[in-house]
Amino acid sequence: MGVREALAGLARWSPVPVFPIVGGGARDLVRDLRLRPEVELVATPRHATLLLVAGRFPSGAIPGLAVVHDQIPVPRATVRWNGEVSDEISSARLVGGDEEDLIATLVALHREMMADPSRSGPPILPDVDAVEWRGVGPYGHGGKGMTGGTPYGRPLAERAGDRDGIELDQLPVTIGPWVGALPWGLELAVKLQGDLVQEVEVGPRLSTDPPTDVFSMATRKPMTVAVLELERARHHLRWLADALSIQGLSALGLRALRLGKILTPHHQREVRRLLAMVRRSGIFGLALNRAGGEVTGSQAKGLGPVARAGGVDDDARRDEPAYRELGFQTILHQKGDAAARWRQRMAEVTQSLDLSDRAGDRTAFGAGLVEGPRGRITANGPSPSVVVLDLLPQLLSGLEWGDAVSLVWSLDIDPTESVETHVDNRGAS
Amino acid sequence: MNPLVAVVLIGVVMVVSVYLVAVIDTAVETRVSGGRGYARAWLAPISRAARLALQRRTVTERPDAEAWVLGPALLGGLAAVALTSIPFAPGVDVADIPAGIVLFGAALLQVMVAVVLHGWGANSVFPLLGAFRMAAVGLSMGIPFSLVLITTAIPAESLSVGAIIASQEGVWNVLRQPIGLPVYLITALGFSFWGPLQLPDGADLAGGTSAEISGTALLVWRIARASILVSLAAMGAAAFLGGYLGPWLPGWLWMIVKTMGLAALMIWSGHRIARARMESVVLLGWTVLLPVALVDVFVSGALTL
Repeated sequence: MGVREALAGLARWSPVPVFPIVGGGARDLVRDLRLRPEVELVATPRHATLLLVAGRFPSGAIPGLAVVHDQIPVPRATVRWNGEVSDEISSARLVGGDEEDLIATLVALHREMMADPSRSGPPILPDVDAVEWRGVGPYGHGGKGMTGGTPYGRPLAERAGDRDGIELDQLPVTIGPWVGALPWGLELAVKLQGDLVQEVEVGPRLSTDPPTDVFSMATRKPMTVAVLELERARHHLRWLADALSIQGLSALGLRALRLGKILTPHHQREVRRLLAMVRRSGIFGLALNRAGGEVTGSQAKGLGPVARAGGVDDDARRDEPAYRELGFQTILHQKGDAAARWRQRMAEVTQSLDLSDRAGDRTAFGAGLVEGPRGRITANGPSPSVVVLDLLPQLLSGLEWGDAVSLVWSLDIDPTESVETHVDNRGAS
Repeated sequence: MNPLVAVVLIGVVMVVSVYLVAVIDTAVETRVSGGRGYARAWLAPISRAARLALQRRTVTERPDAEAWVLGPALLGGLAAVALTSIPFAPGVDVADIPAGIVLFGAALLQVMVAVVLHGWGANSVFPLLGAFRMAAVGLSMGIPFSLVLITTAIPAESLSVGAIIASQEGVWNVLRQPIGLPVYLITALGFSFWGPLQLPDGADLAGGTSAEISGTALLVWRIARASILVSLAAMGAAAFLGGYLGPWLPGWLWMIVKTMGLAALMIWSGHRIARARMESVVLLGWTVLLPVALVDVFVSGALTL
């Protein structure tokens, strides 16, 4: 047995490093893969062996797919889960069915790649400059001394005043839509001075079909409060799992995800223990102490936990008889910043579990308006994520990159959230 | 020591300790996440290393190729140099030179250079931001790190690490200089960019300086980073916990226990303490750790007089 065969024999037992491209309707399914020891979801395609494409995409096009694919080191392969194979990657392995089918395919494909790298997927893009040479100097600069211009199609840094009025290089970069630092599908065109975010534009939206979760169903017919509140607690735990991972606490995030998957109203003790661990991690003193991003007043209306974290007493549950019978009272925080949104959702997890436990067979909503975990859902108006995306440029400008990322995750954005699932700004107090 | 034996000794120490670091990291992660299957902690580092060894390296658009390659090599080399100054057992050391603790400090301060080169070399935004962060962390933590380390030489009246260990025969430095070890460990997290100070390679930068590397380059980087952690833990054990001194067990075993104990503490912090904000780290370094380290120097000096 040669060295290569020996390494391949060992590598087949490695967790499969997977870089996901996630469209509408697949976020929760793909996130749950983190709980599987056979798979490791990685934050950058450079660390992956397999590319997983899951979910729905607007008009079937997947932005950035070819670039991401070619960044994955050889040997590599692509798996399309419950969807159609893109024209760009005709060699992708199509998988239907549930998580078990997917895991089996991922593991088998990974072992295939390790044993025989010649079966690796070929590059999609030619290995040439993306854009023709446009610089004038010997090093590709654009004609304004050592700065400016777009040689090879990449805009170079321009001088611009920073927050202290000093003229410094400002680097324009596009981050996303598929990068582990941001929610799946979020693309930001950013101008950076050092690690300071000076300007932000949000990229194209990836809105797809309306979701089919219990909150969307509750716009059409009454649903039991117990089910709605349990799902709300689950949603917040999933958010917590993502947000903790970004703060360097991926193991604690896995704990939140694991708990969310098996959650029942009887898990209140486990939830409280988890939340105590989160508080003891120093998240509020170390990571969110000055993350900023206040969302308060009229701009927060209809945004659920984001609004309530800013002191806006805005919750459609107050108007529902079932919730009034349960003695529901809105939880509020005042500052409206990233830390307040963390505290708000953490408090609402335990509140929702308590409501779910006491709700019995009471039902609520069904008349076209629902208090979803991200805000008010109605048949008209933009969805909570769409509203929050519009706020991002103003909120992120002037922050350090780390704070900007903390802020984005604190807002609980789903860039694939459909424009047909809408937030209602009219009924808010 | 014979140069060949020295190279083999340092190589063995690095390979075994890096493997143990990976095992501890996986076990702590499993414990904190509430998962099961501790057995995989023993196999996972080996299978992951094999997988990375089989992956082809990737390149970015117009990288600074020399800097990109030099970064991981320099980081690993610095860890090896740092380890040479530490006696692993009575009479077992590579180069217990008269100014060993200065050599160690000088090597660790160059970690900043290695990480900045690595981040710069990729010609990509996240690695570049990681490089900026390492420069800021290194500059903020460098002076308190050096001060608390050099303070351990005061009772020994020598800069030799062997002499510093020998001076702790009666009482360990962790008791004589109680604020030294906490400051050392915090700054050590900065230089190993681990746990709450994993800023250059943070998740908010999708891996930071290592976001654009793959295959063997990623494997070497991870080994080098773990080696730095081990060398910092080993020096922590030698300078504050009496090194190989201790009852009942052989000296080399005490050294392993203390080194891996400190390494485990730093690894644990990575899973239980949130990553700090960049601004908070810089403020911590200059406004808290530096004055505290100076107090450590003055108090230890006064007590020695």
